[in-house]
Amino acid sequence: MITTTFQTARFGEITVEPADIISFPQGMIGFPNNPDYVLIQHQENSPFYWLQSLSIADLAFLVVMPTVFVPDYAPEVNLAVVEEIGISEETPHIVYTVVNIPRGRPDEMTLNLAGPIVIQPETRRAKQLVLEESKYSLRHRIKDEPTERAA
Amino acid sequence: MLVLTRKLNQSIKIGDDIEITVLEVRGEQVRIGISAPRDVVVHRKEVFDQIKQENLASSEVDASDIPDL
Repeated sequence: MITTTFQTARFGEITVEPADIISFPQGMIGFPNNPDYVLIQHQENSPFYWLQSLSIADLAFLVVMPTVFVPDYAPEVNLAVVEEIGISEETPHIVYTVVNIPRGRPDEMTLNLAGPIVIQPETRRAKQLVLEESKYSLRHRIKDEPTERAA
Repeated sequence: MLVLTRKLNQSIKIGDDIEITVLEVRGEQVRIGISAPRDVVVHRKEVFDQIKQENLASSEVDASDIPDL
């Protein structure tokens, strides 16, 4: 197995096997020219992963499987759009969502349920979708906001 | 940028299979109809920009803020 090493800002030098690479033919949204990533678990037993770019050392998105927090999350996936990564109606696929945590305010963690990442587990090809006019929020709060409101 | 003037119900063709039609003009709002193959992704630019922004912000998350579950 040919392994390659990459420099990353968060994890220093990482060693990657070809089978670990997740490839986004069109990149993540906003990063069209950076197709290749690896998933690095935040900590043992944590549901959080970093989707680390293999071309930009300091680019790593925090992601989580949304069903950890939103068990009934079921985005409508346009099959014509995910066909390019080898997903059809019968193909099982893995979904992650991008996580945001304002610095020092973990209670305000949000999931971007309107921009899910879909991965075809066999080919490890992936795509970030845009769920236009969906019921899902770009900033879905995990903990309820305080009910107190300013008058 | 190519700039074209269109009237109500007039269209623009992009390539062979994409057609954009001005359906309604009311004050500052314009309703546009888009006819495109299913694998052509169409969405409002704001949504795209917001997802890009969420991606960028996610890359700035401080690992010490990630909760233990």
